[in-house]
Amino acid sequence: MSATRIVITGMGAVTGFGFEWQTLWEKMLGAEHCVRPWQPDDLQEASFAVRYAAPVDMSLLPEKLHSHAAWTLPLEKRSRFGWVAATQAVNDSGLQPEQLRGAAVLCASGAPQHMLADMLLTAAPDGAAPGWQHLMPRAGQVNADGSLRQSNDRLARVIADDLGCEGPVINISSACAGASQAIGNAFQMIRRGEVSVALAGGADSVLNLDTMAALYLLGAASGEQRWGADLCRPFDRDRSGLIAGEGGGFVVLESLEHALARGATPYAEVLGFGSSLDAYKVTAPQPEGRGAALAMQAALDDAGLRPQQIDLINAHGTSTPLNDVAETLAIKSVFAEHKHYQALAVSANKSQFGHLIAAAGAPECIVTALACLNDLVTPTVNLHDADEQCDLDYCAGQAVSRRVDYALSNSFGFGGLNTSLALGKYREHGQ
Amino acid sequence: MSNASARIAITGSGCVLPTGWGVERFWSAAREGRSAISALQSPLFHSERVVAFGHVADDDHQRSRQDVAQNLQRYCPPAVIWGVSAVRQALAEAGLEPGRDDVRFGLYCCQGGYTHPSLASYGELLHECQTETGADMQRLAKRVLQERALDPFLVLKSLSNGLLGVVSLALKLECESNAYMQGVAGNLAALREACAALQSGRVDAAIVVGAGSELDPLALAALAEAGVISTDASPSLRAFDCRGRGGIAGEGAAALVLRRADDLPAGPQTCLTALFAHPRLDSLNLPDKQVDLLISSATGDPHKDADLARTLARTGAAHITSSTALTGMLSGAPSLVDLILARQALQAQSIPPVSGLEQPVDAHLPFVIGGPRDAVLHDCLVINRDDNGFSAGYQLEFHAAD
Repeated sequence: MSATRIVITGMGAVTGFGFEWQTLWEKMLGAEHCVRPWQPDDLQEASFAVRYAAPVDMSLLPEKLHSHAAWTLPLEKRSRFGWVAATQAVNDSGLQPEQLRGAAVLCASGAPQHMLADMLLTAAPDGAAPGWQHLMPRAGQVNADGSLRQSNDRLARVIADDLGCEGPVINISSACAGASQAIGNAFQMIRRGEVSVALAGGADSVLNLDTMAALYLLGAASGEQRWGADLCRPFDRDRSGLIAGEGGGFVVLESLEHALARGATPYAEVLGFGSSLDAYKVTAPQPEGRGAALAMQAALDDAGLRPQQIDLINAHGTSTPLNDVAETLAIKSVFAEHKHYQALAVSANKSQFGHLIAAAGAPECIVTALACLNDLVTPTVNLHDADEQCDLDYCAGQAVSRRVDYALSNSFGFGGLNTSLALGKYREHGQ
Repeated sequence: MSNASARIAITGSGCVLPTGWGVERFWSAAREGRSAISALQSPLFHSERVVAFGHVADDDHQRSRQDVAQNLQRYCPPAVIWGVSAVRQALAEAGLEPGRDDVRFGLYCCQGGYTHPSLASYGELLHECQTETGADMQRLAKRVLQERALDPFLVLKSLSNGLLGVVSLALKLECESNAYMQGVAGNLAALREACAALQSGRVDAAIVVGAGSELDPLALAALAEAGVISTDASPSLRAFDCRGRGGIAGEGAAALVLRRADDLPAGPQTCLTALFAHPRLDSLNLPDKQVDLLISSATGDPHKDADLARTLARTGAAHITSSTALTGMLSGAPSLVDLILARQALQAQSIPPVSGLEQPVDAHLPFVIGGPRDAVLHDCLVINRDDNGFSAGYQLEFHAAD
């Protein structure tokens, strides 16, 4: 195994809290959330089954970002968020353009937005049957948000072109584990010596009629109205499904040697990455969390860490009935020795800024890195009455000040893909 | 055990392509220079400007379905079914069976296409909700949500990692994995990660699979808008030919099983010795050494192919061929298909012709024209280019049995 150490030197996050990771961190430590009433733009009255989400609030856009090209080029919304987050991460890192030339870009983005809008192009103006003959003449009429020409690798390409990155440009497509996978792959590429710098993360927005309808029909999205905007309740007895958010997140990863040579100060160190497959069901986790446990164990092995060294788990914590129990069981199986699971802090972020789907792993990795840096753990908000099968310390309600030397950040996806990133407090002289 | 220089051998391959089910059918079509591009057929749409497509035949689709359990098929668009079938073929040739063999697997997928659900999923509903002033979204939402008028598995069928999920379910693989989008960049990323996992010792056998289909009016319109496919009713794709009139899309799946060469018993081996890429074709870091065979993707546009030919000339290859005209342009497995072709050529010591090539864009380049050509082949270079310019190269070496 190479002795190359890999550190996080830049971070960028666009979420419902705003357009900077600093805002995200501050709001999360304050136990706030940004879930609010929502319905698809296409509908005139509040009739949609899913009533809440955590959308990006454009009124929070800082003046300095008004001129970013992301807001003027023909891009999907998710790509705009991702591009802005990537720019922030690079600025945050202090990397100069010439230092980015050989950098890799690894990006996760979800299903194209506006599928329905595209399909409406096939509809005849006179109400006749939708058909190809209507589509071709109108294909050039796609508006600035249109997705017709925007394949899933669009964001990665835009970022690479904008920043002048000529290293590998890789588009990851592993559903809700996507951004975590992108960061994990970037870590592996630097460790193998293929590149010295990588920009990794993801962006997504499912806040449109067709995708949210599909998620609702699958039983994944919550239509609960009992708790108002507090309906995202990871590990709670009254959890009822995921609450979608939107946004993007990116981190700059560098070999420590490269970072120190240019005088950068690392936020945290990436120590290992693990992935696994449930091979159980497309839409449901293996009930005992077997796949999730395999991914966490793989991350620990990759990092050379013993389970007893882990202080914090940033949980996938979707607030769905199945995930939260399975993840709890997985944690208990991996950290069974000496019942170390009782000593762990487990924190779920999705009740604060929603489920960012393909991008979820990126801001969650950022929050985990900041926990290692500051010895502060963000709370799991809206957790008031834990499910009897969810019996870990989830840091309910308010942030916790505790030593965090090592942490795992979990992300699991539709299709049964599980990932776990191992992060550690940056130490000048190694772990 | 980590050995970054461990040689990686291709030990199994499989495919479901317009040329048929299985590698033998693909190889036969390649040797005969027989293109499988045919008239575009869809019950949903027609076009007078886009008239040809590389279809997977229904018989081959039905045969592939036998490789996927009935209860899984409801989650699967056709390309995912082909992907599972291709993986099963590749594993069979490699003599591996997950669950039976004490082998640590890795699974690396690339899905092509724009992952739009087909218009079929929405067409009837859109028609029903159409008014004189446009679509009645309120009614559409009500029909979808309250009356369940939409296929509840729609989102799963359009998952861009659906291939990964279904292959893992079909083969009960709980292993390390990743899923990539799309085309050459996706294939390269999957292959690179597979090789790295083998060389690091994390896995003993890597399954790399790609699948996709552009048989959807939205996808084809996007490709037409981007200038990737011809819109002048061209019935055939002429690779590297002055008479070319542009690209034609296709569909299909291909899979490879990779292993560390040193783990295999003595015998002939085709090894993947290098992978490289660059955002621009003209900056691709081509190997210094002259290769025996070069396999290159083509655009079907004579001007673009002439540009491509200038890069190919730098390789000094002894022979050049292409598979693009056989299948059409594939979004899910372009590089995997070319690697299969390369392996077959190296094993057979025979080079298939460029299908349909009569008037090369560069008369000085050693394109194989007409019929197959026997030659002594030790190595092969594959060069693939995405329509956004991203290009990848793969080097293979053939090691005969000692």
